[in-house]
Amino acid sequence: MSAVERSLDGPRGRWIRLRVGLLAGLLGLGLGLVVSSASTLMLEDGARWRELAELQRQRRLHVAPKRGTVRDRNGSALAVTVEVPSVSLDAIELLRGVQPAQVPARARTAANDIGRALSLEPAAVEKKILQKRRFAWLKRRITAEEAEAIRQLGARQRGAERVAGLAVEGEGRRYHPRRELAAPLLGFVAPDGEGKEGVEHALDDDLRGHPDQLRGLRDRSGRLLLSEGVEDERALAGHDVHLSIDQGIQFVAERELASAARTFEAKAASVVVVVPRTGEVLAMASWPGYNPNDYGESDIEARRERAVSEAFEPGSSMKIFTVAAGLAAGVVTPTQKLFCEKGTMAVDNVVIRDTHPAGWLALTDVLAVSSNICSAKIGLALGGDKLYETLRRFGFGDRTGVAIPGEASGTLRPRGRPWVQVETASAAFGQGVSVTNLQLAMAAAAIANGGELMEPILVTKVVTATGELVREATPAVRRRVVPRHVAALVAEMIVAVTEGHGTGVEAAVNGFRVAGKTATAQKIDPATGRYSLDRYVASFVGFVPAERPAFAIAVMVDEPMIDHAGGAVAAPIFRRVAEACLEWSGMVPRGTAKADPAELARMPDPAHAAHAALREASGAAPAVQVVAPAVAGGGPRVPDMTGWSVREAVRRTLELGAVPRVRGSGLLARTEPAPGQPFERGASLVLVFEPPT
Amino acid sequence: MNQRVVRRSGGDLDVVLAAAAIALVGFGVVMVYSSSVIEATTVYRNAQHFLIRQAIFGAAAIAVMLIVSSFDYHRLRRLAYPVLGGVTLLLVLSVIGLGHTGGGAARWLKLGPIQVQPSEAAKLALIVWLAYSLEKKRELVKTFSIGMLPHFLVAGLLMGLCLMQPDFGGAVVLLFLTFTLLFVAGARLGYLLGVLIVGAVGAAWAVRFTSYRYLRWLAWLDMSQHRADLAYQPYQSVLSFGSGELGGMGLGSGLQVLYLPESHTDFISAIIGEELGFVGILGLVAVYLLIVARGVRAALAARDDYGMYLAFGISALFGVQALINLGVAMAMLPTKGLTLPFVSYGGSSLLVSAAAMGVLLSVSRGNEERIAARPAVAEPARPPEASATVMTEAGFAPREAAPDPGGGPAPRRPARPARPSEVPV
Repeated sequence: MSAVERSLDGPRGRWIRLRVGLLAGLLGLGLGLVVSSASTLMLEDGARWRELAELQRQRRLHVAPKRGTVRDRNGSALAVTVEVPSVSLDAIELLRGVQPAQVPARARTAANDIGRALSLEPAAVEKKILQKRRFAWLKRRITAEEAEAIRQLGARQRGAERVAGLAVEGEGRRYHPRRELAAPLLGFVAPDGEGKEGVEHALDDDLRGHPDQLRGLRDRSGRLLLSEGVEDERALAGHDVHLSIDQGIQFVAERELASAARTFEAKAASVVVVVPRTGEVLAMASWPGYNPNDYGESDIEARRERAVSEAFEPGSSMKIFTVAAGLAAGVVTPTQKLFCEKGTMAVDNVVIRDTHPAGWLALTDVLAVSSNICSAKIGLALGGDKLYETLRRFGFGDRTGVAIPGEASGTLRPRGRPWVQVETASAAFGQGVSVTNLQLAMAAAAIANGGELMEPILVTKVVTATGELVREATPAVRRRVVPRHVAALVAEMIVAVTEGHGTGVEAAVNGFRVAGKTATAQKIDPATGRYSLDRYVASFVGFVPAERPAFAIAVMVDEPMIDHAGGAVAAPIFRRVAEACLEWSGMVPRGTAKADPAELARMPDPAHAAHAALREASGAAPAVQVVAPAVAGGGPRVPDMTGWSVREAVRRTLELGAVPRVRGSGLLARTEPAPGQPFERGASLVLVFEPPT
Repeated sequence: MNQRVVRRSGGDLDVVLAAAAIALVGFGVVMVYSSSVIEATTVYRNAQHFLIRQAIFGAAAIAVMLIVSSFDYHRLRRLAYPVLGGVTLLLVLSVIGLGHTGGGAARWLKLGPIQVQPSEAAKLALIVWLAYSLEKKRELVKTFSIGMLPHFLVAGLLMGLCLMQPDFGGAVVLLFLTFTLLFVAGARLGYLLGVLIVGAVGAAWAVRFTSYRYLRWLAWLDMSQHRADLAYQPYQSVLSFGSGELGGMGLGSGLQVLYLPESHTDFISAIIGEELGFVGILGLVAVYLLIVARGVRAALAARDDYGMYLAFGISALFGVQALINLGVAMAMLPTKGLTLPFVSYGGSSLLVSAAAMGVLLSVSRGNEERIAARPAVAEPARPPEASATVMTEAGFAPREAAPDPGGGPAPRRPARPARPSEVPV
């Protein structure tokens, strides 16, 4: 075996060495080529490939994690996501292992089977199979029977051939069990899973869940893999959002808004109910509303939550805050009398007028009869800067930061410079400034809360699908606006608005003292730039019970056509919402316990009578003297208004303290109840109109 | 045969080469886990299904490698025919229908509870047989009937069986190995070129008239058009590779596993690219280059033609498998179905690679042994210039220097340890 020695010896050895070197060099060159190609692929084009891969994942992993539920303060679901099954097809999987020649035949039989199971046209299914895509929807939102039929097809072992590549997956669909309830507040969810409008948009990140984490857990056909650390799909699901809204109060608020808006033929309206002590928003209603289950049908305008997105000139309700500012600054005293100039006062080149001309008025009466002149005087005495600053402290001109997109901040200084004298005067009674209804409610709540402005709370807590608390809102004082005694004084003063000769008697609730303020603001006509004579914003803002406020309520009705006075249009809404709130909270009308049960039993409205008796006993004027004149034999009776115009009849009905329900048009034909029948304050009176013959 | 064969190789293990192989095996276990989790979970309801198996195979592979490396590779001479026959039999069995169909091809043969992939073993069997045969034929390699024909007939038989499974990639590698070794052994270039042309025509024919292969080829040429169907796999693979960018997405963070079929076997390098980035691929290629370089070094330093052929064939096998696998994953080459040696999932591939590496280590150890053994039997009569030759030949050319001092009197191999020539001291 001397071959060994010979093998790499001499010229032969050199040749072998050369050949080995050549081949090894070629291999090395090949690997170098691999590296250079990798550098092109990964370093130069890498970003583009990564983007493509990302796009592919987004398209393929189409099923988003289950969206969180939105609940009210009592846990009732306001918006839930239900899984609706859909069927997809992996054509490559279906045709795997099929000889090329048999593909058309296999596609046809499979298409027939699938078509039968899903009631689809087999030709269309066949086309989808022959496109040989890795993913294609066959049918979305299938029934339980169809889903079962598909499972059978996929599982079938004997008899017929198994159809592979079919997958039934749940697709989330947003569902609002209460339909229109709080729709503008909640918003809706687009088919791509993105929350639009309202809470759905503002809290989209919480509600949506964690699709990022989900990505790694889906396989090629998009099926969810539940192992690998995640036993429970809920861990990836979106968080549940608990709102401070009470669906009962929200419902009443919306019902009353809709009813009033139709009665007065208003353009839009909103109501906000907050708890003064905590700042929790109990109801936030906006009319017109829509059904989010079918949002495509709705007008885009109807989807806005007007209580936060619409700024309007508040008018007289601003006087509450002007008076509070004046008292806090000491420019007026509670007992001081102000001269109201007999109804007209010139400030520079502008004449300010009062609807109820008066001479000397106590501060309480300034609010009760809503004197623009005296409010302007207080404002001027404060000075523009001081008034502006206090109004800012009440929260006007600032967004409240509530979790609803598109919040308006309102404007105190429309021209962005300090007010001139006329502007100070008009701002003092709510002209030339704009606010949102939520700001108004929060500012009134600050008066009710002893002068401390709270942060509004709409989202009380966010909880994971497995029940762990993510975050919770706690009542937070935004700032002290006025001293406690000033707030108490102002609260007591505006009780007069809803009593006696006040403009807001319609807001009075039987058995409770109501503090509040009406407002009737002219709107600026966009065509002329001047205040319009027939377009108004009627509003009422107040709280109840006045001595220990539990609810602050702001009502705004935009462009009511039948009537426009805040006292006539907005105050009744306030009353009915307040009644619902008090009833829900179980508060007992004051004095009921003290009245003689035997006497109460004989009275048509015990609570009302007890309240009146109490007031009389304390030396005050009878509480409901004007609006509900006592008629022998009990409460008021329906007057005979046959032949009256709509406007006259509605006004008379309102004066009697009933809610007019207008039907038809023309002249009054009949009423329900019929004339002469007794009715209770706050009850509906149906007015049926017919065209004159 | 003689005393040398009976004696166990006493030389030192090529630690660098062994370490590279063991590192690759360990790396493979990690990467198999990362790339198989999804399939393991969906199909086997156990995320560690492939991890556990690969870890067991890996441990077995390292053991096999070390055991084989401790035997003298000359023992393989006797095994050349039995191994070739056995592998051929297994291939025939798998082709005629005992094969377990996986991924559309009957590449696995079920032997009781275990499945083996005979085409993996065929590669090593061919190298072992070619080395034996080429050494035996020596100068006759230059002839056609003795030097060329038998080798290509045997290789053609194995290739045909591979193609029938069908395993196109395996056939290509077998052809490549035959060429490589015949070229190195000194076959006539004219003959080789002729066979190359015949082979190319044959391959083209195999592709053109096997409709699925032809369609795949067309799809590969026009990948963007067919990325949803026939070119799905190469397209997804490139997508994986490219999205790794420089540093990768991080071990276990790759998401292309969701889309890339066979990501833990043939396309594992695409996942390596995605998760470890260009840096990872660079490192991987460097390790294969290292293996090839150490292997070629061992071949050039081998004591005899047989060892040289074995070592070079095995080095080329590793190099070309890695090259093709990476090329396929980057869609530089059409899909072949070749594993990444030591890294891809699969017991057959891993154990065969380990056995091959064991043989390679044994060859290099035999070479080392000679150097190690030298001092003990040293004769100081070595001319200094001969020693210088050893140095300049970078340590793997002692045989160049061997004849001159000993000259004729080194007649038989048993006498070799006593050869005076190799005394660097």
